[in-house]
Amino acid sequence: MVGRELRRRAGRSVLTVAAVAVAATLLTALVTIAGTAQTRVLSEVSTGGPLAGIKVAAAAPDPSQVDQDNARPGPPKPLDDAALARIRSLRDVDAAYPVLSVPVVVLAPVRVPAAPAVPVPGSSPPTSPGSPGAANGAVPTGGAATAAPAPAEPPAVGGGPAGPYGDSLVGVPLADAGRLPLTLLAGRLPAAGSQTEVDATPDFLDRLHIPQKSAAALVGMTVEMGFPRGFGRGAFRARWIHPTIVGVVAQDAGSGQMVGSLELAAVGRDWTAAGGQDAATRFGLQPTTYTGVFVVADRLDRVTTVRTRITAVGYATQAPEQLIASVRRYVRVVEIVLGGIGLIALVVAALGIANALFAAVRERRREIGVLKAIGARDRDVQRIFLLEALTVGAIGGVIGAAAGAGVAALVGLAVNRYLAAQGVAQLRLEISVVVLAVAVIGSAALAGVAGVVPARRAARLPAREAVAGG
Amino acid sequence: MTAAVAVRDLTHRYRTATGQLTVLDGISLDIDAGGYLALTGPSGAGKTTLLSLLGGLEPVQSGRVEVDGVDLAGLSSDGLAHYRRRTVGFVFQHYGLLDTLTAAENIELARALSGAPPRRRRQEAEELLGAVGLLRRGDHLPHQLSGGERQRVAIARALANSPALLLADEPTGNLDEEAAERVLALLEGQATDRGTTLVVVTHNRAVAARAATRIRLVAGRSGRPDGTDPVGEAGIWS
Repeated sequence: MVGRELRRRAGRSVLTVAAVAVAATLLTALVTIAGTAQTRVLSEVSTGGPLAGIKVAAAAPDPSQVDQDNARPGPPKPLDDAALARIRSLRDVDAAYPVLSVPVVVLAPVRVPAAPAVPVPGSSPPTSPGSPGAANGAVPTGGAATAAPAPAEPPAVGGGPAGPYGDSLVGVPLADAGRLPLTLLAGRLPAAGSQTEVDATPDFLDRLHIPQKSAAALVGMTVEMGFPRGFGRGAFRARWIHPTIVGVVAQDAGSGQMVGSLELAAVGRDWTAAGGQDAATRFGLQPTTYTGVFVVADRLDRVTTVRTRITAVGYATQAPEQLIASVRRYVRVVEIVLGGIGLIALVVAALGIANALFAAVRERRREIGVLKAIGARDRDVQRIFLLEALTVGAIGGVIGAAAGAGVAALVGLAVNRYLAAQGVAQLRLEISVVVLAVAVIGSAALAGVAGVVPARRAARLPAREAVAGG
Repeated sequence: MTAAVAVRDLTHRYRTATGQLTVLDGISLDIDAGGYLALTGPSGAGKTTLLSLLGGLEPVQSGRVEVDGVDLAGLSSDGLAHYRRRTVGFVFQHYGLLDTLTAAENIELARALSGAPPRRRRQEAEELLGAVGLLRRGDHLPHQLSGGERQRVAIARALANSPALLLADEPTGNLDEEAAERVLALLEGQATDRGTTLVVVTHNRAVAARAATRIRLVAGRSGRPDGTDPVGEAGIWS
């Protein structure tokens, strides 16, 4: 009966449904976009890692820094498997992943794309004796990864220097990369445990003067990379490897321009450490099993507690918790404002429903009277009009939720096109089922509320309307 | 099912912009169970108001209206709805069919409001359509039916809940002579077959003449039960 009534007044029904649909579209799209923006901003803040992530350094805590996001660590302190196990066993710790940064000597990629090398004046690599850059003369030390670089500089990618320079390789457990602060910008992550694949970082791109939007150009190239070892009296040699750059990642797990497997970093650590005192004094290798641990707390609101517990264990921590809290506050305000705009649209649509129902009540006075004459109670009549309002609201809500998701997807496409042009990681639009459900149920509920007064008016019409003017 | 109707000193007023308008002024009448009464009179005489009060379409303001011993003045809004659903069947000049429902669905609606299960009410609607000679028109919407057919569907709907009192407001007002005759014959036949008390409001003397009892209302008054006419035109004829 309700459906047929709506069809009978098709023009008005379509317009009323359209008003609700537009409002629901606005609400869905705005809330979805706001939610995605929040996720993206927080992801930027946490460099793609979990928001409840905590960086633990192989250093004692500095008592004056414990309450700060970027707390300055105290004196170095070895971080071994026992310490890792202890951190893992702390309450409210969901997971703890070891990180190992080791010194490396790097040459620019040797498999060069079409762009010719353009050396930039004043940016030549360090080559003074005793520095990691003085890699010429390195000797093979066994295995496949021991080739020395050719005496002649290889052609380099981009406009950066091609000569060797000292930096670090960040080794992480790649099997758990999804829970680490890594954001893939191009290509892919190295295979777990791989000793032949690495990812470059935006810092590496900067060094080569390659814009981020051209990051993909690096993928597939081979980089010359050596783990240095001191041999006394200022001499050092490097164990050279030729890993393939399989991707470009932004990362906040440790300090370094290259990211690889924990196993590869361990090889480097062991090689460099075998040089004795030089390892620490010349190459900055810490005498520790791991240079850091990335801890994930159970929940964001447990981060402070977990940091306190780790501090009690004796290690310095960093976590952007205050920044995240601040960002969340601001983004929540934006969400509320956008949601409010959508809600206002829905309220306007609800007024449209009420208006349409008032008109229907006026037009159907006799029909209402007839219904009462054949025995309908006031609440039966009220139910009919409320059902009409709910139906209009639900149909509008369903259409609006679908359209809102579509609009959000289109906006996401446009934003991603822009981000791609900027060489920044793209958005992953998160269309929440909850938002869609709220749009549909909210539209129906608001329509129901809007229908209450007209429905009551219909219910209160006297039954004698059936014979009025008859 | 039959109803004995007793009306005593029934007065009814409507509020208008210029004050109170008395539409019924101390009406008293009796209808025997299974009786047939025609209400006549000029426009504004109060015929339809009297019909509305008998049918429980509006509450009694002053006086008494008893149907089967039940005083309608004592019924609440829901009580009146129950009374209309269980005791009364209405036939309107304008048919009163819901435009969006088929003939069968219009009849079913009355049964649905009484809580009849779907299968049963569909079956009963078919039987009623058969009784009014429209068995093959059940799927037709009101606008697909002629005036006479619509009124026959309306009669079928009025009979759906087996009412004790059948009230018809100008049932032939919109019909041609032939259709009017057929509708009246149907109405009277069904009322007689079911022992239903029938009250018909009409302007048409020929229609009124078919009733066992006729009451002419003038300015809200009827003649006295003894047949004398206090206002010159009003009166009761049996």
